[in-house]
Amino acid sequence: MSPLSLELGLGLLGLVLLLVESFASVPRKLIAYAAIGGLLAALAVIVSGAAGSVPDSLKEFYVVDPLALFYKGFAIIATLATIILSLEYAPIIHQFVATHPERTKEAGLGEFYSLPLFVCVGMMVMASAVDLITIFVALELVTVSFYVLVAFMRRSAASLEAGVKYLILGALSTGLLVYGMSWLYGMTGELSLSGVAYKLAHWEGNSAPILFAVGLMLAGLAFKVGAVPFHIWIPDVYQGAPTPVTAFLSVGSKAAGFVVLTRIVGTFLTPGSVVAGPVIQILLILGGATILLGNLAAIAQTNFKRLLGYSSIAHAGYLLVALACIHTGGLKMTSGEVAAFYLATYLPMTFVCFLILSAMRAKGYGEDIASLKGLGRANPTLGLALAIALASLAGLPLTAGFMGKFFVIFATVLEGYYTYLAIAVIGAATGFFYYFKVILAVYSKPDGPSEGPTPDLGLLSKVSLAVFVAAILVVGVYPDLIRFALVK
Amino acid sequence: MPAVLFYLFSALTLVFGLMVVVLRNPVASALSLVMSFAGLAALFISLDAYFIGIIQILVYAGAVMVLFLFIIMLLDIKAEALKKVNAFSVVGGALLAIVFIVQLGMILGGLEAGKKTVADVPIHFEAAAETQKLPTIKDDLAKKSLPDTKLVGMALFHRYPFQIQLMGALLLVGTIGVVILSKREVN
Repeated sequence: MSPLSLELGLGLLGLVLLLVESFASVPRKLIAYAAIGGLLAALAVIVSGAAGSVPDSLKEFYVVDPLALFYKGFAIIATLATIILSLEYAPIIHQFVATHPERTKEAGLGEFYSLPLFVCVGMMVMASAVDLITIFVALELVTVSFYVLVAFMRRSAASLEAGVKYLILGALSTGLLVYGMSWLYGMTGELSLSGVAYKLAHWEGNSAPILFAVGLMLAGLAFKVGAVPFHIWIPDVYQGAPTPVTAFLSVGSKAAGFVVLTRIVGTFLTPGSVVAGPVIQILLILGGATILLGNLAAIAQTNFKRLLGYSSIAHAGYLLVALACIHTGGLKMTSGEVAAFYLATYLPMTFVCFLILSAMRAKGYGEDIASLKGLGRANPTLGLALAIALASLAGLPLTAGFMGKFFVIFATVLEGYYTYLAIAVIGAATGFFYYFKVILAVYSKPDGPSEGPTPDLGLLSKVSLAVFVAAILVVGVYPDLIRFALVK
Repeated sequence: MPAVLFYLFSALTLVFGLMVVVLRNPVASALSLVMSFAGLAALFISLDAYFIGIIQILVYAGAVMVLFLFIIMLLDIKAEALKKVNAFSVVGGALLAIVFIVQLGMILGGLEAGKKTVADVPIHFEAAAETQKLPTIKDDLAKKSLPDTKLVGMALFHRYPFQIQLMGALLLVGTIGVVILSKREVN
């Protein structure tokens, strides 16, 4: 079985679901269940290792190495979680898509459940892409699908505003990326990353044009992963987008950006490359600024979604610093694997937060931190899950988040980047402050006597919540679980 | 192409490109963009890239711009023209653009490739004809004419069929998005 058949299969499933959605009047939930079933099957194929080798005609563009398989699995899990979240969030979507919400029941939900499949296809191709054209095409498939998903709640001004902002800034960053790619192609005459790496290692003469290309490409990708100073879009877009899409953006889109970044940075840092020094400097400065700004700006936030937006910026900073630390032999992982590990710890904790946020929103609660008050009493299970996820985001020992940060900090020590070690530690300390502020809200008394409906979850969400919380706790004690998946 | 024409078309492209940003009336901006594309198309053609030159006119100056004008027609132009300019963003944007242009100029000045002309890099038709398998392209090259449309087609459908299909998915998603966002009544 060719690994490509996974992408093709999921793409076809997306098409079929769209057709079913338009021509048959099935309950929209069934479409979501079909998508979940397809994704689970694809995940099973990847985990079982049945994904075989790549056909010769594609070898030039497409690789299936452990890193690619890891990110493919990651994309599938993120998409699964997004669709499960969407099931919780469905009433809100319907309310803001239907022109007459009282007359229709499930307006727009069919598309909302099937579009993530196309994003997943794009992210899976990105995980394997090793040539500039393939990277660009897959990246655009992901980004364009996200433009639609972010603006999906068309009767909500916030969602439309988020969509327009994301569209314009996304197009700008794509322009930067493509311009950089065309310079790189113009200077090296190569489109495949291995070809570019060879040319960079044997470069003679002026390296300024290459640096120009590198700068533009890194700027474009920094936008996609939300690194300072290309992060300005994140808070507004995260706050305005439908909550499941925000979760998908902050986990899926970020991971897809980082797999491309890992491969491209790996090309730039190939042994003997003319641009290795500057690229490491750029990554470190971007990463350091991102950690500081993301964490410090998060302190003042009162909206939980916006807070998670800033926290996602801060996490991108740690990931960038991880990519810059290339001598990580002491960890028995490459820098790309440290970043992948960090993302794997970031996925469950972020999805737990957004899952609970979706469920609360669907029950009529707001998205402010203050509206979480009393959750610990109303539904102790949800309160505990949220507290664990937040503690993990902060990096409390014995949680997955601690392990992610630990490896990054260890990598900076191995490299001797003590400035960035200090920045990472300051960032983590700040993180404790604002994440624990939210935990405090969860376990404090509600302000007024007015008792809202108890937030609760559907069965699928309960199962995934349990799986994610278990993952946070198990990986926090036994990180080799993820390491084996990466370094096998 | 004589150097005079190159400078003429470059100036055309740049001046109208600048006007796209500077002009306050959206229709004038859009029409300036058409002119800028036309100048760019002429530059492509002067580099023997006939196919891209024609596509530049057909697709960008033709189809895309007509759509732009349609959209502008549906919007409230007066409100747009009356909007106040934010001095900070103008200064910031101009500064950023100047820094970028200076950087670009310095790099272009140091490039060896910039000193060559098309005449310095002749196409070796006979050698190229031997590497090609497809008879139509081989014949064209043997007759010393550049089959650029056929070469683009070869690249798209022989070398990158997989990527083309991904683009298909992308366009589909875009279409669905437009329908969802603009349909009057969604059931």
